[in-house]
Amino acid sequence: MDFNRIQQPQFKNIEEINIPIPKQIKLDNGIETFIINAGTQEVLKIDLQFNAGSWYQEKPLIASTVNEMLTEGTKSLTSQQIAEKLDYYGAFINPQPTKDYGNISLYTLSKYLPETIKILEDVVKFPTFPEDELSTFLAKRKQNFEIELEKVNNIARREFNEQIFSSNHPYGKKANIVDYDNITPGEIIQFHKNFYNADNCKIILSGKVDDSVISILNQHFGNNKWNNNSKFVDTKYKIPSRIKKLSIVEKEDVTQSAIRLGKVTINRDHSDYHNLNIVNTILGGYFGSRLMKNIREDKGYTYGINSVLVSLKNAGYFVILSEVGSNVAKEALSDIITEIKKLREETISQEELNLVKNYMLGDILRSFDGAFEIASSFKQIIELGLDMSYFQKEIDAIRSIRPQEVKDIANKYLHEDTLATTVAGKYN
Amino acid sequence: MIRFEKLALNNGLKVIIHNDPSTTIVAFNLLYNVGSRDESINKTGFAHLFEHLMFEGSINIPSYDKPLQNVGGENNAFTSNDITNYYITLPKQNIERAFWLESDRMLGLDFSTKKLEIQKNVVIEEFKQRYLNQPYGDAFLMLRALAYKVHPYQWPTIGKDISHIQNANLADVKDFFLHHYAPNNAILCIAGNVTANEMRPLAEKWFGNIPRRKISQRNLPAEPEQKKARTQTELRNVPFNAIYKAFHMSSKLENEYYTTDLISDLLANGKSSRLYQNLVKDKKMFSEINAYITGDIDPGLFVITGKLMNLTSMDEAEEAIDIELQHIIGGDISDYEIEKVKNKFESVYQFSQLSALNKAMSLSYFELLGDADLINHEIEKYRSISKENITQLASKLFKLENSSTLYYLSKK
Repeated sequence: MDFNRIQQPQFKNIEEINIPIPKQIKLDNGIETFIINAGTQEVLKIDLQFNAGSWYQEKPLIASTVNEMLTEGTKSLTSQQIAEKLDYYGAFINPQPTKDYGNISLYTLSKYLPETIKILEDVVKFPTFPEDELSTFLAKRKQNFEIELEKVNNIARREFNEQIFSSNHPYGKKANIVDYDNITPGEIIQFHKNFYNADNCKIILSGKVDDSVISILNQHFGNNKWNNNSKFVDTKYKIPSRIKKLSIVEKEDVTQSAIRLGKVTINRDHSDYHNLNIVNTILGGYFGSRLMKNIREDKGYTYGINSVLVSLKNAGYFVILSEVGSNVAKEALSDIITEIKKLREETISQEELNLVKNYMLGDILRSFDGAFEIASSFKQIIELGLDMSYFQKEIDAIRSIRPQEVKDIANKYLHEDTLATTVAGKYN
Repeated sequence: MIRFEKLALNNGLKVIIHNDPSTTIVAFNLLYNVGSRDESINKTGFAHLFEHLMFEGSINIPSYDKPLQNVGGENNAFTSNDITNYYITLPKQNIERAFWLESDRMLGLDFSTKKLEIQKNVVIEEFKQRYLNQPYGDAFLMLRALAYKVHPYQWPTIGKDISHIQNANLADVKDFFLHHYAPNNAILCIAGNVTANEMRPLAEKWFGNIPRRKISQRNLPAEPEQKKARTQTELRNVPFNAIYKAFHMSSKLENEYYTTDLISDLLANGKSSRLYQNLVKDKKMFSEINAYITGDIDPGLFVITGKLMNLTSMDEAEEAIDIELQHIIGGDISDYEIEKVKNKFESVYQFSQLSALNKAMSLSYFELLGDADLINHEIEKYRSISKENITQLASKLFKLENSSTLYYLSKK
């Protein structure tokens, strides 16, 4: 060998990260619009965000049904005509209902924007929710729901949310099979009226954006206070201070059990969040994380395990998730607890912390590589109304955090005694 | 048009460089010409198990992941019936680290029984998580075995049976490496803000002195023409009945491949497609239905899968599918409709070119098929398909004796 393969090649730290800040404008009617002009390909994406998630519904399934049925018929187009046109132009309209928002996105080739944005406008402003479409939609959904209930991962997710938020809270309440039979067209139409209007909307426009694109957007969504009869009611709900520590949902004939451990915690608007995010990455936020090393790479109990911080509008939560061999669920849980304890009790080595810092900085580079990536990175920042310097602060936090702070944050937010545990499947 | 440059090293490694100045991240994609079709019938799941072992350290570098994460890189891999594909994305300034890591594991692995045992467990858990512990999760495993009697596509990448993974030993693993992992059996593609002039010396330095190896000759038995319709019925603990149908189709290298793909688009690509509009929306017989091609290099399968609505009988469901296929054969297709599915292909193609990693994977794959430049001729291949091509092919494809059908019935 004419050179040394053991010696790793020199590397440079990631010094410069150029975070493109979306340009903020207002459409003529006042809709806040965020513009990300990047990329070389002639493609565009328009995201519309409405405060219209399940948080606002009075009955289960209403918010998601409204969101997903926007494309099932309008004053001027049938469901089939909408589908035909979109497919003909090779465009996609994707509804995405979440707990807080009703999102709807258009992906289109730039050359077809004038045609495809008309369809987007139509489905957002003038949907009719035809009765026969609604009943087909619900019958289909009901069957899919029953299939989903066979999956341990899904059973655990439902149970866990109820455990940490309670069944009285919109983030914890489970939909049930009978709910599919109790939805009326009137409720659907009313929800759309209340929540899908100009005053309750934000827009993110990304791709190759020039002035003509902005002017077309303004023409279709900016020209008046469309659907304006907002009855925006935002109720506050209490999150329970005492939670059920362990919940087991038995399921016969499983080869794996789904496990979840977690708690309600801070979300992105809190000053400790950046540091907590780093601690979460160390624990279970990347392939080399401590949980992956222990539960997968040392023990072989699972194909994958990770931990996640979820920021909702009115709360955040932390959760560890995995599907493990059903005969080792207890062992896996005990190893998970060991890893959390270690994080609290022992100081992380500078070497491991540096690795996580470098990994996270690389990840930030990746998440701003391309117009649509930039748009999706900023999506939640825009939803939560946070400052556009958010990612710069994240970079600063990553660069400056010290081992002692990791330990302090773990003690403050992740004590194992405060976590709720859910097991779906077998618990030996 | 995707431009690229090709280099060939003396040891047989092919290198493709695609310059995309719009990105700060470089994609480094290494494709090995080995997949689950290269396994023997008693040792299935091996190519994929081996992929896992590739991350367990190589002869000079004890940890693969750490040095990469330490420079802001990310990596993963996948195994298919045809290929094993490894990929890295990392900041351009640290590109040499990708060369260092990938060349060392091409040179040799740091095998150990302990590592093998753990990865066997991980793969067995993957087998459960993806297939065995999911409703309908084993359907495609059974459909493959019904459709193929001779060709290795009869087993899935994960393996035919858990016991094959359990029985894998270190000698098998070493053997597999020496017969399939070599510069002369691999294609490297680097896409990002890089030039061939920058990459050539790095490729020569890190990969240039890895010796050629003697690669196992691929001599796969051709699947004989199916002469009689096959059916299989299984009872499972699932809420609703489902149907899975497979028809033998052409290899990736024939023109028929593209026509077959377009037929699957007419039937099931998008909400305006025939199966969705007619069988889900109008007749309300299925809660979901899909048609697609497996996309394999050797002759593959055209697959139709559907979950039945509660009130639909299996006979009705099957007849309804058959009527739709007969419409295609009978030429009941408008020019507009053909135009529509071609437009959609073109659009999806354009969206897929947004990412440097996607481009690197595609270029490597097309190079394996014969020429990376094939990527620039995909659209015209679809555009040139006529209605006659479609009807002619459909009448051959959808013959009853060419079909394998799995009736997946609910115990409830």
